Amino acid sequence: MLQKREKVLLLRTFRGRSLRLVREHYVRARVPCLSPLCPQPACRPDGKLLSSDATHYVVPDWKVVQDFLEVLELPELRGVVFMQTACQAVQHQRGRRQYNKLRNLLKDARHDCILFANEFQQCCYLPRERGESLEKWQTRSIYKAAVWYYHHLQNKMPILMVTEDEEAIQQYGSETEGVFVISFKNYLDNFWPDLKAAHELCDSILQSRRERERESQESHRKEYPEHLPLEVLEAGIKSGRYIQGILNVNKHRAQVEAFVRLQGASSKDSGLLSDILIHGMKARNRSIHGDVVVVELLPRNEWKGRTAALSENDGDDKALGESPSEPMPTGRVVGILQKNWRDYVVTFPSKEEVQSQGKNPQKILVTPWDYRIPKIRISTQQAEALQDFRVVVRIDSWESTSVYPNGHFVRVLGRIGDLEGEIATILVENSISVVPFSEAQMCEMPVNTPEHPWTVSPEEEQGRKDLRKTLLVFSIDPKGCEDVDDTLSVRTLNDGNLELGVHIADVTHFVAPNSYIDIEARTRATTYYLADRRYDMLPSVLSTDLCSLLGGVDRYAVSVLWELDKTSYEIRRVWYGRTIIRSAYKLFYEVAQELLDGNFSVVEEIPELRALDEESRRTRLEELAWAVGKLTDIARHVRAKRNRCGALELEGVEVHIQLDEKKNIHDLIPKQPLEVHETVAECMILANHWVARKIWESFPHQALLRQHPPPHQEFFSELRECARAKGFFMDTRSNKTLADSLDKANDPGDPVVNRLLRSMATQAMANALYFSTGSCAEEEFHHYGLALDKYTHFTSPIRRYSDIIVHRLLLAAISKDKKMEIKENLFSNKDLEELCRHINNRNRAAQRAQKQSTELFQCMYFRDRDPEAEERCTSDGVIYSIRTNGVLLFLPRFGIKGAAYLKNKDGLVISCGPDGHSEWKPGSLQRSQNKITSTTTEGASVTFHLFDHVTVRISVQASRCHSDIIRLEIISNKLHMTPGAEPFLQSALLLKSDLVKEVTRSVEEAQLAQEVPRDSIQEEYQEYRQTKGKSLYMLLEEIRDLALLDVSSSCRI
Amino acid sequence: MAGLELLSDQGYRVDGRRAGELRKIQARMGVFAQADGSAYIEQGNTKALAVVYGPHEIRGSRARALPDRALVNCQYSSATFSTGERKRRPHGDRKSCEMGLQLRQTFEAAILTQLHPRSQIDIYVQVLQADGGTYAACVNAATLAVLDAGIPMRDFVCACSAGFVDGTALADLSHVEEAAGGPQLALALLPASGQIALLEMDARLHEDHLEHVLEAAAQAAQGVHTLLDRVVRQHVREASILLGD
Repeated sequence: MLQKREKVLLLRTFRGRSLRLVREHYVRARVPCLSPLCPQPACRPDGKLLSSDATHYVVPDWKVVQDFLEVLELPELRGVVFMQTACQAVQHQRGRRQYNKLRNLLKDARHDCILFANEFQQCCYLPRERGESLEKWQTRSIYKAAVWYYHHLQNKMPILMVTEDEEAIQQYGSETEGVFVISFKNYLDNFWPDLKAAHELCDSILQSRRERERESQESHRKEYPEHLPLEVLEAGIKSGRYIQGILNVNKHRAQVEAFVRLQGASSKDSGLLSDILIHGMKARNRSIHGDVVVVELLPRNEWKGRTAALSENDGDDKALGESPSEPMPTGRVVGILQKNWRDYVVTFPSKEEVQSQGKNPQKILVTPWDYRIPKIRISTQQAEALQDFRVVVRIDSWESTSVYPNGHFVRVLGRIGDLEGEIATILVENSISVVPFSEAQMCEMPVNTPEHPWTVSPEEEQGRKDLRKTLLVFSIDPKGCEDVDDTLSVRTLNDGNLELGVHIADVTHFVAPNSYIDIEARTRATTYYLADRRYDMLPSVLSTDLCSLLGGVDRYAVSVLWELDKTSYEIRRVWYGRTIIRSAYKLFYEVAQELLDGNFSVVEEIPELRALDEESRRTRLEELAWAVGKLTDIARHVRAKRNRCGALELEGVEVHIQLDEKKNIHDLIPKQPLEVHETVAECMILANHWVARKIWESFPHQALLRQHPPPHQEFFSELRECARAKGFFMDTRSNKTLADSLDKANDPGDPVVNRLLRSMATQAMANALYFSTGSCAEEEFHHYGLALDKYTHFTSPIRRYSDIIVHRLLLAAISKDKKMEIKENLFSNKDLEELCRHINNRNRAAQRAQKQSTELFQCMYFRDRDPEAEERCTSDGVIYSIRTNGVLLFLPRFGIKGAAYLKNKDGLVISCGPDGHSEWKPGSLQRSQNKITSTTTEGASVTFHLFDHVTVRISVQASRCHSDIIRLEIISNKLHMTPGAEPFLQSALLLKSDLVKEVTRSVEEAQLAQEVPRDSIQEEYQEYRQTKGKSLYMLLEEIRDLALLDVSSSCRI
Repeated sequence: MAGLELLSDQGYRVDGRRAGELRKIQARMGVFAQADGSAYIEQGNTKALAVVYGPHEIRGSRARALPDRALVNCQYSSATFSTGERKRRPHGDRKSCEMGLQLRQTFEAAILTQLHPRSQIDIYVQVLQADGGTYAACVNAATLAVLDAGIPMRDFVCACSAGFVDGTALADLSHVEEAAGGPQLALALLPASGQIALLEMDARLHEDHLEHVLEAAAQAAQGVHTLLDRVVRQHVREASILLGD
């Protein structure tokens, strides 16, 4: 226990005054070296070691770690030994963000790197000599440690110390045999000549650093005020002088408006209810969207109002000349507490723009894809080559002398306008990384091939309850679903009571905690569904095979079984545990609904019954129909009970497009509201609820639950006003009253009204979030939308990581009940809280990515159409919000929400003739609470009310640097008559499926079209591509016409 | 430097110790000739001096005398140069009064006071350098001084502090760790019986964690006992040599 040896003195200066502080420093003989080569077992504790197949170890110098961490992050670099001295240099001089990056790197089992605590090793520790500079001492320490490390491994492994310090190379280069000191550039050239990504990254970092140095020498006039030092900021926040919050840039007026959302305690103290407006780039003082900033309020006479007018992103918003709404608290940023910079997708300016930018051809201002991010200055020689590509950059710094931040180029994503490139853009913008699963990860996976079929192991058979013979288990899913993670069962017990069972795929059996696959799944946190594809959280061998509860095969499951009273359906007893099941039927929703309705003719649709003779088929079918019926009965009951407590039925306007892996769009099923949907959902909610109760009881401080906080009443004001416009009253005091008033607010003539009101109610609410029970008071566990006191996610472990955690918690709770030792290493409250934050974050990103990809498809669909001519580009729209110069519209047919102007850029306003068709004429606009009137100078006027139907024309506004935008233009104030009165919802969805289909196809065609000329008329193609003449377009059009026939015919086969 | 890492991912503390390890302890007994008992202790950079007078007659007001046991009078003071900032601390300020009271409670629990009714035992402690865990150092120094004075005690009193960072209990906090502002617990233990003479904590800590922190502090106090015991035996050995058998 007593191994400490010596103490040292450290001299520090503190706030100007020189202060002598004495600190102890304990060193020890045994510091684990974490190398598999070391003979001493003490050096190889559990946890991460270096891999045994490295040919050499690299010890980066402190300077290299500080500057080239991004390169060291590449997983190709192996055998990296970070010295503690270097890590501390990062911590002290580069800030917390960079340091956390390094820490995560060290924790990540996929990267072959470790930390050696050299300063705590008695032989490696060097006291700093008098007069020695910090840099020199750090380099000396790292070299000494590298030498020790080499000798410690008995000279078996050559060690390379990489440094940027020429002097060090001179001094130490040949001092010790086996320990080489070379420069980083040299190292990459010699050892990784093929690793292009590393070289490019290294070059771009070097270049941007040189630029920065040069700039700091020039250091001309200041563009922004300096940030205040951290101590001042912290003291200011405490005293209430400054306010801390997260900067949120307004997407539509990114140059001018940003808001600071108050964080935690500061909102209570300052008495401010709303956000704080930050007006203009100067006041924003170099902070970027998402940063945690400190704000000083301006005096009241300088307060400004937010603009209610619609504006375009062109930045010529002055032209609108709108008087803003009443002043709100306005402030300026005085400091940044935490920079949340991420990778940004940018576009290089086109050639003409480059020339106009002038002076320095190597410094280029690139435009980020996200409107909220300012332009970034990067220096590169490849600007011309990269013109037509979407590119990832990182921001390095933003000096107060510079108008724009400096950044460096990281990698190319894809061509502008190309489907793959745009999808990659969406992924990067949401920080979603979906590299294919690596070999190490796949090695952990069980095998299931025709040669080696996977079977139930005898040990598992003993430990699990066998439900294969006793229960009729079946699943109900949409058509084409491959990852079946839930199945249901119901039966009558001997005493007449009922037993309801929910059986969930046992993913945790295959995914061991902290295995490679577990870590990967944790980073992904969820399966990402984009409009035309999905990125799985788990490899397909699990998600679509071994974990998927397919029909007719033995599968492991985690089950919840309830015993229900025969008449009242009250829950008598609950059993949780691991089971083996064999699902008898894999039903589709439609088929199940038919069974429920008593229509047995669907028997042909059930493949499991096809092979049987008439008699047994009959009995089996009746059995199944009874089960489905009973389930529905129970579900109704449970639902009614929940409704009494005020469960809400909400509507999101986003319509989900799900495609199977082969992108066969005809497999897409419009989600019709069947009762079976509700039945299944209700059973899942029930299971989630009971599991939540169980894990919370067993682990009151470290259970993962899901909360849905009650919304702020202020957010409902818009909903209330809209409802009033239609003559409905919204009582938003509780979820019960809100649910009732939403049910009542039904316009028999217009079903869209109710849908819109429901979606507005949804928007007013906070998002449901995962949290750890240790970090929250019990009253806050409540789920507002479902009206349950405790709720979690348990039923989809294949596509959500939170469910995996919940499974582990549940299994631990079961073994705790049995007084068995808990084998699994559960997360502590703090770690779980961190994880919840990560999962919530990823879920939001997944949602955003899905939305953006849907918009991408919408735009691509409308892009190639002539809005004047095509029938489809004209549609019905409903007004759901009124602004000073336009209205916001919802297009039920496409699920699109967008803005339409009543006043155009030339100041003309809309006017409608007697037949309803609109024209632009000079005039003025008059806005009141729920209507807007446009009056022309001739005296004619037209009024638009909330929920009015209008006819709009849809066109696409193309944009080079950003995503394309759908533009809406009102062409008539009358309801648009669709030819053929199809059922409303269905038509919308069918059309959406068409939309994706057509876009995907035209992309394929475009590819085909590009390939064809490449073979035949290579030269011309090259030439045309460069000139971008009209003739190429013609050529492509011709080939596309041909290809269209081919593809569509092959599609049908 | 807001983000000083008190416990690194590798399990090292700022000064290189692991979570349960003590700072280096050095102690000497019998440093002053004129006092009945005296001791000097260094726990890391925390240095404390303790002297004991008594048991003797009650000084001052006789009314204070207790009929059935001895009065334990403890006084604490710290040197102006003991902390990083040079600051005069007048006698009898709040902090030293409180510390005196705590010491008194601790030693009333350990000294067999009923053996000396109507008399008084004085314990004076001065901190020469404060680098975290002053209470613990004072108790440990005073224990040695009381032993040196030959006053009968139930057992050693060994004290140690413990803190709680990132879900781990840290034993024997240094000044840097104390200044970070986490919960801190001071424990004085009678090591042979494991009885607690004094337990003090004035920060908020979830009750589930208390057990772990207490456990860490108790273990550290046992470690202190081993060391102090060694010091006492060494001292006795030296003394007996000096006495010439």
